[in-house]
Parts: sequence; structure tokens; C-alpha cells
Amino acid sequence: MPAVSAIEVTGLEREFPGGIRAVDGVDLEVAEGEIYAFLGPNGAGKTTTVRMLTTLLRPTGGSARVAGHDVVSEAGQVRRAIGVALQEAALDPLMTGRELIELQATLHGIPRAEAGRRGEALLDRVGLSEAAGRRVGGYSGGMRRRLDLASALVHEPRVLFLDEPTTGLDPVSRKGIWEEVSALNREGTTVFLTTQYLEEADQLANRVGIIARGGIVAEGTPASLKAEIGNPHLEIGLVDGSPETAAQVCRAFGRPLPERDGKVLLELEGGAGDVAQVVRALDEAGILVESLELVEPTLDDVFVAKTGEHIEEEASG
Amino acid sequence: MADALRVVAALGRRSVRQTFRRPQLVAPILIFPTLLLAVQTGGAASAVDLPGFPAVNGFLDFMLAGAMLQAALLAGNTGGIALAVDLEMGFADRLFASPISRYAIVLGRLAGTATLGVATAIWFIAIGLIFGVEFEQGVVGMLTMVIFVSLCALVFGALSSAIALYTGQASVVQGLFPLVFVILFLSSAFFPAELMLEPAASIAEYNPLSFIATGVRDQVIGGLDAAVLAETLGAIALVGAISFALSAVALRRRLRIG
Amino acid sequence: MTAASPAAVRPIGFRGGLGMVRALVRRSANEILRVPGAAIPGVLAPTIFFLGLNAAFGNLTQLSGFTTDEYQSFIIPISMLQGAGFTGAATGVNLARDIEQGWFDRLLASPAPRPVLLAGMVVSASLRALIPATFLLGVGFLIGVNWPGAAGLLLALVLVMGTGAIAACWGVMIALRFRSQAAAPLMQSGMFVLVLTTTAYAPLELLQGWLAEIARINPLTQVVEAARQGFIEGAVVWSETWPGLLALAGMLSVLGALALRGMHHTSDH
Repeated sequence: MPAVSAIEVTGLEREFPGGIRAVDGVDLEVAEGEIYAFLGPNGAGKTTTVRMLTTLLRPTGGSARVAGHDVVSEAGQVRRAIGVALQEAALDPLMTGRELIELQATLHGIPRAEAGRRGEALLDRVGLSEAAGRRVGGYSGGMRRRLDLASALVHEPRVLFLDEPTTGLDPVSRKGIWEEVSALNREGTTVFLTTQYLEEADQLANRVGIIARGGIVAEGTPASLKAEIGNPHLEIGLVDGSPETAAQVCRAFGRPLPERDGKVLLELEGGAGDVAQVVRALDEAGILVESLELVEPTLDDVFVAKTGEHIEEEASG
Repeated sequence: MADALRVVAALGRRSVRQTFRRPQLVAPILIFPTLLLAVQTGGAASAVDLPGFPAVNGFLDFMLAGAMLQAALLAGNTGGIALAVDLEMGFADRLFASPISRYAIVLGRLAGTATLGVATAIWFIAIGLIFGVEFEQGVVGMLTMVIFVSLCALVFGALSSAIALYTGQASVVQGLFPLVFVILFLSSAFFPAELMLEPAASIAEYNPLSFIATGVRDQVIGGLDAAVLAETLGAIALVGAISFALSAVALRRRLRIG
Repeated sequence: MTAASPAAVRPIGFRGGLGMVRALVRRSANEILRVPGAAIPGVLAPTIFFLGLNAAFGNLTQLSGFTTDEYQSFIIPISMLQGAGFTGAATGVNLARDIEQGWFDRLLASPAPRPVLLAGMVVSASLRALIPATFLLGVGFLIGVNWPGAAGLLLALVLVMGTGAIAACWGVMIALRFRSQAAAPLMQSGMFVLVLTTTAYAPLELLQGWLAEIARINPLTQVVEAARQGFIEGAVVWSETWPGLLALAGMLSVLGALALRGMHHTSDH
């Protein structure tokens, strides 16, 4: 059964005055019921793409269809089918949480009584029932994101767009948002999210599109992307003795990689199961091991392989 | 001493740069007074026909001084707002934590305000020349106007700074904008005091700003009068003494409280 | 909640649109109702100008050409319209702030039609314009402004609301063009100039030079004269009223169309 496309993008381009091509020919397709993550560093074109897909920005080239409607010629219909939670959780500090959700509902043409009912249900769902009567100005960052998410859902959208939904949140709040997004997806909502966090893409997404400098450099499920890069590698810290000798010993199990911080790096051709044998071999050669770390390939490794740069400046998430 | 002057100059340059980089700050100082000058000159032009109106070639001759003072006062207020913003944002703390004199910090901003005063005076003199105003006292008179106007900006800037230092809130200083207009309207800046309605006319007679306005205006329409010059400088000195004293007190209080 | 059958995608009908306008107006009322002192600058500025102009230029009425010797009655409509202009400019500044902070995106991404979003801003501005106008009237009557009669008062308030709407269209247009609060002076000075280049300070015969020419062709002059009738003559006549209403309608159409065009071009940025 062919999957219905929730999002179809062909050759999408956006050029800004001055010749800056923020989005330079993006093709992608998101099936209904999928969670698709756009992963890339700042300035890669993630937000610009989302703005075009949510009808906030007109493409300068290419085309896109969301929920079966063209984003330019059928913008009104697109807006009725999508829910949007953008980067800045832009909320009016003078309104209460409840008022905000009700306003959003009214803007979607939902009648008063229905709006109130749905608003309460959603506030309850994201855990803001108690705070609903307080002004948004007093909410914490995590609360604002949750309210933003709730108000994006008030009209039961088919496709949900989340632009960096957990940037700046503490780990607990972040997990909460992930759980909520997963639950929504289980209920059938298609989710398109952008992120610069590897773990977020890895954990949440069915498929990941890695974007750099306005174009997609790799696309696939997190597992397949990492498998493309290949095997895990071992980082061996020695007590003393030369790294070269250790590397010689390990050569039987894999390909030595350029050393880093005095550690021997070894790509394990046989996979993680060979770790025990490496340790035994080093032991037999009389080389004392101080530390041993098995590093699985990450999406960052995929990014590095495709672009030569890291997504994040330092490991985080 | 040389160091202190250098600091004052550097901070002064910063505050001038800040002002010209943001339209919201430049507009009240140059654009609004110019617009007001234009409409009031056109709209109330027939005032010159009122019995008792001083002898002028046109209403612009009279109004020019008012526009300059309006700009000067607003420049002073803008300086105070900028100082309050520095305090709110913590930039002032950075300055206070450095080894420069506390007074240099405030003086730096005032130096900037005085420079803006000079700029506005030159601007309006240019406008006057373009629109055919004859400056009775010639170039010396124009120079005198520039000095008076910039001193006026300075002393009002000190007053505004005092409030900024005392409250630490930009919104409070911003709220003084209307007060500037109250002071201007209750003086002879826009109209001869004798021809105003009571009780404004009486207030205008004693308002120091009226003396300053007369001193500036005489360079355009009047003769060289030592008494008038003395009164103008006296008024500036009086307001200056009060405002600098208030600033000093407010600064010491802020440094004490932190 | 399933995504397979989304909420019935009902077309946004007239009643739906009205509901949206009402909700948007209510939201913008928050700023005055929930921020103590937010309304003060907008009310204070025209009042001070009113009292100051009266004190300074009050004796202009001695000149022949004035049909009244009460300058305060002559200029109170000006101050009321200035208040409306200021209110409309503030609408533009608020929009610029909403754009800068991303709130406006939320409205744009919703199915609320662009004209409805604009109507929300314009209607709220025209209602808010009544605040400084009412305060001014209070102060004015205290210092001896003539009672304009019920019709005169009603007409003046209608013209104030219309001017507030025009000013809001102007402010919105500028906000959408520059997308920054730095454009605030442009919004404010535009209305400032519009109101004061009319028969603001004196009747047409007493204006001189370029201002006389501009006042002659400035459509707001008709609005000023229409609003002024009640305060000067105590009664209103149709022949002096319809030019003002027509001018208002004309300016609203032009500026409204420009503002709407700006709304449609928001996706160009």
C-alpha cells in the first residue's frame, strides 16, 4: 500500500537579497504518520525550510506540498491542516495560558464552547492545567514550550511542524517533550521537526535528513545512516608504552585510526564483540591499559563524513 | 588628569555614536523639532501681526530659538535615558568596576550630550540660513547660539542623568518627555511671554528657560545687549548648579547602594 | 484524536471572521488593562500639547479671521485627532514588536485570513483612540471649551475613531515594511505631520506660504473642520460634515489597501 505523502518537497529554493541561498535545492518526502527530523548546525537552512513549508515564507524556486496542498497557491488550506511551534515559543507575556490557547482556537475558526473544551484537554495533557490561569510572562522556558506545543494542537492538525523544540531546555523538560511528540505520532500525527541535537534525531525520528549549507547531504533512518559510516571504534588510553606498539598489536582486529590525545583509536572490523579479544591481545603483549571506551558511530560521524565538519561544537544532548 | 579627559572623550564619542545609530533616538532630537518648527511657523505665522509682537522679518526668526531649545532639552533627556539603559543592562557596572573616575563616567555621557547640543544648534542655524533668516549678530551671534544651546543640553542632561542615577529605570526617564514640553510651553520658547494667556504668561516670565530663549533669540532678532547675555548665562548657571548637584548626590547614592 | 480525519475544515465565514476580530481586539486591550500606566503617555502627550498650545498661542484669536475668541475650542479637535494619530502609530509600534518577537508568525501561520488580522488591529486602534479623546474633553471642558451639542460630540468622536483607524493602517504599513521598532519615529511623525498640516493653528485665511497650500489639499483638513463645527458653533450642519466623512472614507480606503497589500507580502521576507 503506497504511503500517502504528508509533505512533498521538490527542488525547494530560497534566495535572499545579496545572493544568499539559504535553501539550495531540497528534495524530500515525508509519509503520513512519520516523524521526520531535519538535523544540521545553525545556519544550515532548517528554519528557512520550515518557514517555507508553513507558508510564512515564499520559496524563490521549486515547490512544496503539505497535507496535499501547495504551500504557495493553497496557503489557506495548508494553514488549516498544520500545527506550528516555532523556534522562539513566541507567546504574549500578558495573556494567560488559557487565553492563549483559546485565541489560537478562535483563529482556527473553532467556536467558543468547543475551544474552551479542547483548550482544557490540551492544557491537561501537557501538564499546565494548574498554571493555565497565570500570565505567560511568569512561565519557565519548559512551560512555554509545552504551551506552545499545546496551542499548535488545538485544531488537531494532520502535520505538526516543530522548529528546534527543545533548544535551551533542561534534560527533564526535553524528555517530556520527546514523550509528548512520540505519543502524538502514535495517534497518527505526522511530525516534521528540526534540531541540532543528535540524540533528539536519533531517539525520535523515523527518518533523518542531514542538512548543511542549504542542501541535504544524507537521508535515511538513523540506523541506516550510522551503518553507512560503519563500525564502532575503540579508544584505548595507555598507562605507558608507545601507542605505535599497541596499534601494531591491535591491527589484527581492525583499522587503526589517527591517534588523539595520546590514545590509540581502532576501528573494529568485527564489531563490538571483538573488544574482549583486543584487551586480551594487549594484555599478552604486556601493554597496560588505563582506559577503554567503545564509541558507536553517531549521526555527527555521518555529518563529518559528508561535510568534514561537526554538527555540534562539543558533545552535548 | 589627561587620563580622565581621555576617558570622558571616549565615553562621549560612544554616546554620540549610540544616538546616531538608532532612529528612535535621533528622531526626537532632530526630526520632531524640525517638523514642529515647520508646522508652527506656517500655522501661527500671522502671530507677527499681533500688537506687541517683537519686530521680526518673519515668524521663523522668532521660532528658531524655540526649536533649538526643544532639541537641546530632548537631547539631554535622551542622554539620561541612555544612561538608565546602561544601568539596567549592567554596562554601567562594567564601567564602575574599572579604575576610572566615577565622575568621568557620568561626565562622559554629558560630554556626548553637549556634542549633540552643538550638532542640533548647527542644524537649526543651517535651516535658518536656508529659509532666509537674517542673523542680526552675524557669525559671532551664531557661535553664541551654539554655545548657549549646547550648555542648555548639558545642564538638562545633568538633570535627566540625576533621575536616571536615582531610579535606574529607563522607563521613568522616558516618561519625562512630556515634562520637557510642559517646560517649553511655559516659557517664551514658542511665543512672547507677554502675549501668552494667564497663568502661563506669569510662569513664563520667571522660567529660567525664558531667559535662555531670549539670549538665543537675540542673536537673530536683537541687538547686542550685555544685560541679556548676563541673564542668559545666569539662568544656565542656576539650572546647572542645581542639576549638577543633584547628579552628584544621585551618583554617590548609587555607588553606595550598588 | 486521530490525524486521519482532521477537524472539519470549515471555511472561515463572516461570523468566524467576526469572532477572530473580537478575539484579537480583546487581546490588544490587555496592554492597557493589564499594564498599569501603559495608556498614560498616549493620553498625556496630546493633553499637554493642548494646554500648552492654548497657553502659548491663545491670543491668536485676536486676529481677524478667527470666528471665535476661545482658542481652546478652536484647537481641541486637533488635539483629539492627534491623540487618535498617536494611538494608531502605537498600533504600528506594537506590531513591529510582535514581528520582532515572533508572535506575529503565530497569527500568520493560522488560517485567519489576512484582512481579518488587519481588521483586528485597526478596530482596536479606533476604539482605543477614544481614550485620549475622552480625557481631553474632560480637561477641555474644565478650562472652558464650548459644549458642542450632542450631535457635535458624537460627530467628533466618530471622526476620532476614523482617524485612529487611518493611523493604524499607516502604522501597520510601516511596521510590515521595516519589521523593526526602529521605524517607530516614522510612524509617529507621519501622523504628527498629517494632523498639524491642516487648519490646526489658525483658519485657512491666516495660514501662510507652503502650509496654506498643503492645508488646502490635505484631506484631513476636512475632517478637522467637520469635527470643529460643534465646538465653535455649537451645532453641526450637513454641508460642513460630509466633506469630512468623505475624506475619512477616502483615506481609509487608500491606506487600508496599502496596509492589506503589506499583509499579503509578509511571506516575501
